[in-house]
Amino acid sequence: MLPKLNDIEIDRIHGKQGSGRKSGRSNVEVDMNPMVDLAFLLLTFFMLATTFIKPQSMEIVVPAKPKLEDVEKETPIKESKTLNIVLLESKLAWYRGLTDPEPTMVQYDEKLLLQLVETAMKETVGLVILIKPLDESRYENLVQVLDVMAISGVSRYALDRPSEFDISLSEWKE
Amino acid sequence: MALQRDIRKKPVLDMNPMVDMAFLLVSFFMMTTTFKADLPEEIAIPFSSSEIKLPETSMCTITVGESGQMYFSVDNKNNRIKLLERMGIQYNISFTEQQLKTFSLLDVFGVPIAELPNFLDAKHNNLDYAQTGIPSSPERNELRNWLLTARMVNPGLRFAVHADKDCRYPVIHLLFEILRDLNITRFNLVTDTKTTDATQAQ
Repeated sequence: MLPKLNDIEIDRIHGKQGSGRKSGRSNVEVDMNPMVDLAFLLLTFFMLATTFIKPQSMEIVVPAKPKLEDVEKETPIKESKTLNIVLLESKLAWYRGLTDPEPTMVQYDEKLLLQLVETAMKETVGLVILIKPLDESRYENLVQVLDVMAISGVSRYALDRPSEFDISLSEWKE
Repeated sequence: MALQRDIRKKPVLDMNPMVDMAFLLVSFFMMTTTFKADLPEEIAIPFSSSEIKLPETSMCTITVGESGQMYFSVDNKNNRIKLLERMGIQYNISFTEQQLKTFSLLDVFGVPIAELPNFLDAKHNNLDYAQTGIPSSPERNELRNWLLTARMVNPGLRFAVHADKDCRYPVIHLLFEILRDLNITRFNLVTDTKTTDATQAQ
């Protein structure tokens, strides 16, 4: 039996005087269990619904579309300073220069890629990396390569359309 | 014996501290929760070592599904309403109050604009309606218009590409070209950190 609310108030005010209860004590016991149940239910819900990990992101900057009159002003880059990375479906091919390229196939492996880029950076001052994803390549691999660019700190790299030679690489076997 | 004396008494456990704690945690989770956007398909994002956090406000996200469907999402209810009104004018579609309201509460969508009124009328937008993606081909580039109009509504809008790791390059290229064409040259790629990669592999 719960005591009447009025009685509790009166008990408080009068310091338990005149309460007709046994031994003059009114020990109010509110059953907290349903409240705990509810609280934990809500807690569970919010814990499950929360996504704590905010997605990370990678910033990329693409060059603005050149105006027609600016195209001629573009300075050509030396072939020897380029490193071409062609993204195939499950491998990537790289070669230096553009004429008579000698492509090497490697797996998508971050360490290998980083090594490759870093050696190229040491060998060539003003290295330009051309990333050419073929149509069958996956977004994942593009992100990986862009990530390697960011880690190695290459100052000049660009996404480029593959040449016919690059497309032929997809049929190329070692 | 001393032990027997207590047997009749019901053990009383003071629940108050427990309630306090539970509600403290509840309030904490309530404050910090941002609900997951209801994506029409599961997107597995690629990993990178980048640790830049995505900004939380003024974001416009283009989600690309595994097979190349494009979904569009932009934050801020009021801006969504303005966006839809302007898009409606462009495409000669008038939206009802109710449809505008539904749209303002919609996290992400991917239907051609002609289907949008039906889509907004569907009861549970994501479950009842098969979303085919926003057309983005050069002939019918609705995505470009969405992006352009969204930026007109909120000039400080930032853009993020949220693409599935297995989606093929042509779609990404198309999207990059659209962004580039709109002079959006700086944008974010949503990625996951490498550490989660390692733990998942284990």
